[in-house]
Amino acid sequence: MTEMMIETRNLTKKYKGTRAVDALNLAIPQGEIYGFLGPNGAGKTTTIRMLLGLIKPSSGIVQIFGQDLRRERIKILRRVGSLVEYPSYYGHLNAVENLETIRRILNVPKNRIDEVLRTVGLTKDAKRAVKGYSLGMKQRLGIASALLGSPELLLLDEPTNGLDPSGILEIRELIKRMPKEQGITVLVSSHLLSEVEQMATGVGIVNQGRMIFQDSIPNLQRKAGSEIHIALSEPDAGLITARELGCFPRLDQGKLVFKGIGNEEIARLVAALVDARHSIYRVEERRKSLEDLFLTMTSGAGATAETNGEAGTSAGGAPRAAGLPKEAAQ
Amino acid sequence: MIGQLLATDLLKMRRTGIWWIVFIGPAGLAAMQALNFGLRYDYLVLDQYKSDPWAGLLSSVGSFVPIAIYLAMTLLMSMIASIENRQNSWKQTLALPVKRSQVFASKFLCCLVQLLAACVLLSVSIVIVGLALRLPGEIPYFDLLTLGFYPLLASLPLLGFMLWAALTLRNQAIPISLGIAASLVSVFGGSLSEAIPLSWPSLVVAGQETFLFMGLGVALFAVLYLLGSIHFSRKDVA
Repeated sequence: MTEMMIETRNLTKKYKGTRAVDALNLAIPQGEIYGFLGPNGAGKTTTIRMLLGLIKPSSGIVQIFGQDLRRERIKILRRVGSLVEYPSYYGHLNAVENLETIRRILNVPKNRIDEVLRTVGLTKDAKRAVKGYSLGMKQRLGIASALLGSPELLLLDEPTNGLDPSGILEIRELIKRMPKEQGITVLVSSHLLSEVEQMATGVGIVNQGRMIFQDSIPNLQRKAGSEIHIALSEPDAGLITARELGCFPRLDQGKLVFKGIGNEEIARLVAALVDARHSIYRVEERRKSLEDLFLTMTSGAGATAETNGEAGTSAGGAPRAAGLPKEAAQ
Repeated sequence: MIGQLLATDLLKMRRTGIWWIVFIGPAGLAAMQALNFGLRYDYLVLDQYKSDPWAGLLSSVGSFVPIAIYLAMTLLMSMIASIENRQNSWKQTLALPVKRSQVFASKFLCCLVQLLAACVLLSVSIVIVGLALRLPGEIPYFDLLTLGFYPLLASLPLLGFMLWAALTLRNQAIPISLGIAASLVSVFGGSLSEAIPLSWPSLVVAGQETFLFMGLGVALFAVLYLLGSIHFSRKDVA
């Protein structure tokens, strides 16, 4: 078994009776990019703050690098880099001075400042006051601060929030490089599944403070499953033909929809339908989009099962489950 | 570690204008007395304070020292706190491998260093005023040194409160208003009951039981500092 970089057991944070985080069990192995996914107010930020010791859990245990956070907080934080929500910076100072305030505490060599500025591509603007930076530049400065101490574990809370597409791409590439080049384990939170899907290797989905799914990205995609849609001239008659072959499709807008069906079966089915003089217009595979899956899981009920979104389109943006309590940590 | 934190905090103060307060406060007090003594030279130096003009100058300045110290504590502490409060940088600072009690101590030391610097500046500028006025008699070096320093010790309880309030309250209007109110009340320090800590610096300036009130000031400060530090170390950082 690989070493767990982060492990929480029954992590709970209560705010005046409501549970912002409820018995959360995280397990993040070394070298992983872990996507921490959930709608706004699900308790992601609260969890990350607890991982950093900024707020105290009501109950439960946090172990980072196999050590108890309560007892070894300072030793642990020395090896952790973080960016919590929107970036923190001192607007009246320039980028180098901002990093210097952290460097003096971490006690790393001065040339690390140039290195991290180069990593995030801020070398050119290093001498400008940070208050004149664009949001994307501030965000990159925040990541530079997180990288300054050459951490083994990086906690990034919504690092692409408020960035334009090119900024998102840039940060995503940056995050994807980390485990490969420097062996850093990354936890990145997001409310966008498409984003996590594009960079993470593992994923945990939280809703209302509870972990509702935790596995690898391929397993998540497998769980999404796929369906074969066959569009043909006489669907009702086709339905009977299919039943005779031992397949039980459902009829959906003039199409036969088969779930969990193998290649051989499809071949036999199509041959039989052609023999029965059906005109076959389309045979297509549709994967339930992950956005749908996410919505289905986060809303608890199967309310979205029939939305049947088109494969590949994820224009829905942030899935928001209705009626979630506002994040208590705000 | 505390040294590194202090160096960091001093770096964060660059270009915030905070040192201007340290400079302008004492210079302003000295300028006021330069004007007072310059315009009324014949009356003050040759008549009222004839026996000891230097002591006259010091006591004229001294009556404004308590309010100046209280105002300086309020302004400096809220400026120090606003550096972290403005972009909510607490979450970054406190996620670094540092003890919270040391972060708290470093902010206190920052303010103390600035207050001490202001005391020294006050002494220096009063000497300059005195020399410029060609006051006769010996320069009272010891009294000059204690001019700001003794009332500062007696004023420390307010710093203990401001330190906690400015660093933990989100709404800076509360500590600032309270600090300014305390400064205004301190003007009447001489006529207040000794039981009210706000009267202590005035009593020290007046030379009544100087060491008792300085000791009380330091002791009350120590209690407030300890309580503030414990709360700061335990509270959740939003």
